[in-house]
Amino acid sequence: MRQSRRLVPALALLLCGALPRPLAAQAHGTIVIVSGQYPGLPIPTLTRGLADNDIQDLLFLRLARLGPTLTTSGDRDFIPQLARRWTRRDDRTLVFELDPRARWHDGVPVTARDVVFTFTRARDPALAPAHATALRWISDVRAEGERTVVISFAKAYPTQFFDATWQVPILPAHLCDTIPPAQLATSAFARAPVGSGPYRYVRGEPGQYVELAAVPGHFLGAPALERVIYRAAADGEARINFLLSGEGDGLEQLSLKSQQDRFAGRADFRLVTLPTFQVLYALFNTRDPADPAAPHPVLGDVEVRRALVEALDRATLARALFGDAATVPIGPASQSLWVQAGPDPAAAGDTARARARLAARGWADHDGDGVLDQGGRPLAFTLIYPGTSPPRRLAAQLIQARWRALGVRVELEPLEFPAYIDRRNRHAFDVDLTGVGQDPNPAGLAQGWSCGGGTNVGGFCDPGVDSLLVRAETAPDGGRALYQQALRRIADDAPAAFLFAPANVVAVHRRFAHVTLRPESLWIGLAEWSVTPGRELPRDRAAP
Amino acid sequence: MAGWLARRTAHAAVTWAGAVVALFLLLRLLPGDPLASAADLPPETRLALAHLYGVDQPLLTQLGHFTAGLLHGDLGTSVLYGRPVVELLAAHLPATLLLGLAVLLTDFGLAWWLGNRLAARAGSRADRWANRALLAGHALPPYWLGLLLIWPLALTWGLLPAAGLADPLLPAGAGATRALDVARHLVLPWLTLTLTTLAVPLRHHREAVYETLASDWVRAARARGVPEGEVLARHGARPSLGPLLALVGAWLPMALTGSLLVEGVFAWPGIGWLMAESVGGRDLPLATGCAALGALAAIGGMWLADVLHRLLDPRVAA
Repeated sequence: MRQSRRLVPALALLLCGALPRPLAAQAHGTIVIVSGQYPGLPIPTLTRGLADNDIQDLLFLRLARLGPTLTTSGDRDFIPQLARRWTRRDDRTLVFELDPRARWHDGVPVTARDVVFTFTRARDPALAPAHATALRWISDVRAEGERTVVISFAKAYPTQFFDATWQVPILPAHLCDTIPPAQLATSAFARAPVGSGPYRYVRGEPGQYVELAAVPGHFLGAPALERVIYRAAADGEARINFLLSGEGDGLEQLSLKSQQDRFAGRADFRLVTLPTFQVLYALFNTRDPADPAAPHPVLGDVEVRRALVEALDRATLARALFGDAATVPIGPASQSLWVQAGPDPAAAGDTARARARLAARGWADHDGDGVLDQGGRPLAFTLIYPGTSPPRRLAAQLIQARWRALGVRVELEPLEFPAYIDRRNRHAFDVDLTGVGQDPNPAGLAQGWSCGGGTNVGGFCDPGVDSLLVRAETAPDGGRALYQQALRRIADDAPAAFLFAPANVVAVHRRFAHVTLRPESLWIGLAEWSVTPGRELPRDRAAP
Repeated sequence: MAGWLARRTAHAAVTWAGAVVALFLLLRLLPGDPLASAADLPPETRLALAHLYGVDQPLLTQLGHFTAGLLHGDLGTSVLYGRPVVELLAAHLPATLLLGLAVLLTDFGLAWWLGNRLAARAGSRADRWANRALLAGHALPPYWLGLLLIWPLALTWGLLPAAGLADPLLPAGAGATRALDVARHLVLPWLTLTLTTLAVPLRHHREAVYETLASDWVRAARARGVPEGEVLARHGARPSLGPLLALVGAWLPMALTGSLLVEGVFAWPGIGWLMAESVGGRDLPLATGCAALGALAAIGGMWLADVLHRLLDPRVAA
C-alpha cells in the first residue's frame, strides 16, 4: 500500500473524554439537530446540499472514511467502514475486501455487487454529473467473488484511494437495481432509504424534519444515542430560536460574531469551533470585462492589486466579523485544507506602503476630489457579491470603507445569487467578493488558479503556479511543499485579497458527552455521542 | 345561473392557462443562472446538469415539454431539491392553507363583527382608538413583529413553541395530541399575520357599512321605527357584504404567498418560502410550479368571490 503522509494536525474534536467511548449496552437519548435545509434526498449519487449529505452520512457507509488528519493523499489515514482491509496490486489497481459483518438495514449482507452497482451509477455523467467528474480517473470497478472489489484507475496519482472511498457511499443493489435510474429520486426507496450506516431512516415530514433511529448491534459499534431528529428552518433567526427555546440541541454555521453573541449567558450550550473548507476572498478580474483579451485597465497592474491587499487590515476585519472564528490565509487555502500554509503574517496590512506603491505607479489625487487618478482615469471599480450572504454583505461594506480611505472609489453591487453567478461566469465584474467551499483534495486548486482552470473566472495565469500544481498532484509524497509554494506564489501576485478562512462555529447542548465533530461531514461521528447520565431532558427519556 | 357559471368557469380556466404561459416565459427572461446552485462544479459538469434539467433547450421546446407535462399533472423536477415539483407543492400546501385560512377567517370574521360595530359608532372614542391600533398593526413589519412575539412568549416564558408546524418528538398518529400541538405552533404565526393584516378588511368593511348607514333606505327604516340593531344588521351590514366578499377573493392569493416572511421567521413549511427560494435560486421548474399555483389561487379567488356575490345578490351581472 502506498503510504500517506500525516500533513495537518488532528482535526477531530473530542470534547468530552479523551478516550473512546465504551460501547453502550442500550442506546438512549435524542438529539435535535437544526439545519437550514430539509434533507429531501439523502441518497448517494442524488444528494443536493449540506442537509442531504449530513443524513446520507448517517444512513450510508463508504468503503472507508477520512481519518483525523483529513489527509487525502495515500491511504494510511483512512478509517475502514464497509471495507475491512485493502491492498494494492499495482500503481493503478486497488483491491478492497468487504467486512462480512456489514448488513443493510433490512438484514441483507453488503456485497461486492452493491459496490459495482453504485460506481456504475456514480460514474455515468448522465445520471450523476458531479460524481462522474470526481470519479473520472476510475476506469473499471469489478467484483471478484462476493466480498472482493477491484478498482482500476486510468493513471497513477496520490489521491486514488480518496476517490475510490470517499466520493460516493454505497447503495443497496438489491433494492435499487430494479428502479430505473431516472426514477430513483421519486421512488419509494428515496422516500424511505435503506442504508448500512449506524442509523436507519424512520420517517420524514417534508420541509420539517427527518427522524432516524440507532441500529442496535451495528457492526462498527452500536450507537449510544437512540434517536436523531434533523429539523429544517431556512431562516437564520428561526434556527437560533429553536435552540434558545429549548427545542434544539445542535446548530452549525454560527460563524458571525453577532450570532455567537446570542448564546452569551446560556450555560446549557457550548460553542465549538472547528476548521472548515471555506475560504472568502475579493477576487480581482485581471482581464478587461469589456475585452477579455486585454488586461483590466486598473486591476491588470499587479502593483495596484498588491496595494489594495496591503490597504486592508484583514486581521481586524476577521475579528470584527467572526470574532476568533476565522484566520487570514496565505493564498486560497481553507483551514481544513491539509496543505494550507498557516495564517498570513502580513494580515494586518500596511496602508502607508500601499499609498507609496500606488504613488510609484502614478496614482495621485490630481483633481482634489478625494479619489486617486492617473491620466484622467479615477481609481474606481465595482465590487459584486451575493446580497443574500450576511458575511459577504458586511465584509463588502468594511472593505469599501478601507479602500475609500486609500483614495479608491468602490461601488458595491449586491446581486441575487443566480445573477451573481451569471456575472461571474461571464467574467463581467471588476472585483468579486466570493466564497468557496474547497474540495478536501488540494488538486482542486487547479480548477480556480491554473491558466486553463474551469472555474478561473478572474483570468489569473502564472505558468509557474501551473507547473507547481501539476508537480504537486503527482508527487509521491503528496506534494505538500509544492502546494505551499504554489499558494505563496499566488498570494504574492495578488490575484485576490485573501480575506478569511472561517471556522464553523457549532452550538451543542452541554448534556452530550463524547462529542465528535468532523469538518468533512459535521455529524458523521454522532454514533459515538452519548447523554451524560443524570442530565437527560424529557425528550431523552421519551425516545421510543 | 348554470350557463353563467359555466361561462365564468371557462373564462377563469382560459385566464389561468394564459397566465401560466406568461409566467413560464417571464421567469425564463429573468437574468441569472438557472444552475446557480451548482456554481462550484466544473463547466463540463454544469453542461451535463443543464441537459439533465432541459434548461439547455430552446425556450419554445421547454414550453412544449412543460405544457405536455402539465396536461399529465407533471410539472418537472426541482433543480434545488431533485424532487418532482408536484410532490413538493403537495407537501408544502397544507401548511400554507392552514395558516392562510386561519388568518383569513379571523381577518374577515373580525372585519364583519367589529366593522359593523365601529361603523355604528363612527367618530366615537372606541372607533378612533380602534383605527389607531389597526394602523399601527398594519405598519409593523411582520418579520419584526414575529421576533418581538417570539422573544417573550417562546424564549423567555416558554409558553409557546418558537417555530415549526409540529413537535417532531410526538409519535406518528398521536391524534388529538398532535392536533393540539399543531394548534400551539399555529398561535404565533397566526397572531403575527392577523395583527399585521386585519386593518385592510376591517377598515374596508367599516367604511362600506358607514356609507350604507347614511343611505336613504336606512334613514327610511329608522323613520319607520325599526330597532337600531335590526337597522344595522339588515339594512347596513348585509348590503355591504358584497365588497367584503370581493376582498376575500383578492385575499386568497395573499394567503398563499403573502406570508413569506412570517413563514421564514417561524420555520413554517409552506409554499411562500418555497416560492421565494425557487425564484431566488432560479429553480425554474419549481418557480413555474409555484407561480402556476399562485395564479390558480388568484384566479380561483376571484371566481369564488364572483360566485358567492352572485348567489347572495342575483342582480349582479356576469
